[in-house]
Amino acid sequence: MKKTLIKTLSVAALSGAVMLTSCGGGDKKTDVENMATDSTKTDTITSTAKATESSTEMSYQVPSPKEMFVFIKQVAGKNNKRVDMLNSPDNAKNYTDARSQALNFGIYSCDLTYCSIFEIGTNAIKYFKAVKQLGDAVGVSSAINPDILKRLEKNMGNPDSLVEVADNLYFSSFETLQNSQQGNTLALAVAGGYIEGLSIACNLVKYDKKNPAVERIADEKYTLENIIEFMKKYESDANVKQTIAQLEDLKKTFNAVTEKQQGKVTVKDEKGTKVLGGGSELEMTEAQYKALAEKVATIRNSFTGK
Amino acid sequence: MKKIFLAIIVCISFSSTAVFAQSSVCGDFHKKACYIEGTRKDKRAFAYNAQSKSGLFAQGSVSKMRCIVYKGMDYRISVCCETILGDKVNFKIYDGRTNEELFDNTKNDNTQQFEFQASTTRQLIIEATVPTGEVKEEKGKAENAACVGLLIENKVSDKTGFSQY
Repeated sequence: MKKTLIKTLSVAALSGAVMLTSCGGGDKKTDVENMATDSTKTDTITSTAKATESSTEMSYQVPSPKEMFVFIKQVAGKNNKRVDMLNSPDNAKNYTDARSQALNFGIYSCDLTYCSIFEIGTNAIKYFKAVKQLGDAVGVSSAINPDILKRLEKNMGNPDSLVEVADNLYFSSFETLQNSQQGNTLALAVAGGYIEGLSIACNLVKYDKKNPAVERIADEKYTLENIIEFMKKYESDANVKQTIAQLEDLKKTFNAVTEKQQGKVTVKDEKGTKVLGGGSELEMTEAQYKALAEKVATIRNSFTGK
Repeated sequence: MKKIFLAIIVCISFSSTAVFAQSSVCGDFHKKACYIEGTRKDKRAFAYNAQSKSGLFAQGSVSKMRCIVYKGMDYRISVCCETILGDKVNFKIYDGRTNEELFDNTKNDNTQQFEFQASTTRQLIIEATVPTGEVKEEKGKAENAACVGLLIENKVSDKTGFSQY
């Protein structure tokens, strides 16, 4: 009896945690009924399914800024090397409170990713140091090994390796925040990284209705929706709540963008390749693009203290 | 009876620790286990996507995750679990807006991998059913829990035709 009880409680608690990654959110829409349909389940597992009913969560995933930068580089060319639009590493010392440290940790991590993808090696070193400085402040020192700096220096002339080093740093530091139960810090860092990525993209991409990069920026609406849902899990934290309000404001700007219906959602086989099509596409006008860029700049400047 | 209550308290304390430690138990599981045969040999430049994840689940449970796929990108989604009985993960993919089912691996020879091209950006819901079976005993892991990994990889779609980019 005792053994069964212990087993049941252990599994219930573990399953309650559900998938743990960059972003586990709080939407309780998981189909709990499905959990109980497997006839092979033991009583213990059935009890677990019931026990998790109130704690099962939908997890929300957020792409890293790297994905967007790689796309923009491919579409707009690799000569978009601008450091004037990044947050100067010299500002790192100005961030002394928990909120600005977490937000700018995300911002500098994104800047480092941009520098590595667009092959601005010397600046990558500077941004690594800023990431390290704020990483120590937010409690991810263990993920930012001094050896990484040596690897960055060693790979200055090797863009692929530079991207890999920066990317690994991004994953390991965000994972450390998650593993150390600093969900509120992680939420702010994700928000900072997202806004910086969008800010860089808006600075790099000139409006042209047919430019796929413009469409890609409009599509960031979906990422924003996931980020907000993820952050809501930590909204009891005043800093997170304040940041959600800013992102909700940005969402309103995104909501002005027209959704053009492309028909029913389909999966078609085209010459051996499965193609997901249909649904809706976002079509942004020049005025909407301008409004979005302005809103992003306002939020970003409030994060960086500009 | 007192002993049972004590056991419950100890168990809850242990489980909380296990929850905290679960990422270190399963943390990189998807990176180690989801590269199924042939994936590593594939010379196409698929890159690791940050939306990949691993987690510790009660066996037999269903979990859902919402992710984003972008227009103009190719994606490869692989699922894996640690059961040593040879059980495979059942997974389905739904459109995040309409909830329409887009893929069900049980209707596709139980394949553990789905590769596709996104011609529009969309939110997807990936639903995985964790199989039951014996698993490796590890510190901080309950007997009936198993690591499940979801590996997402992507690359920019090849430029084809006259109109693309």
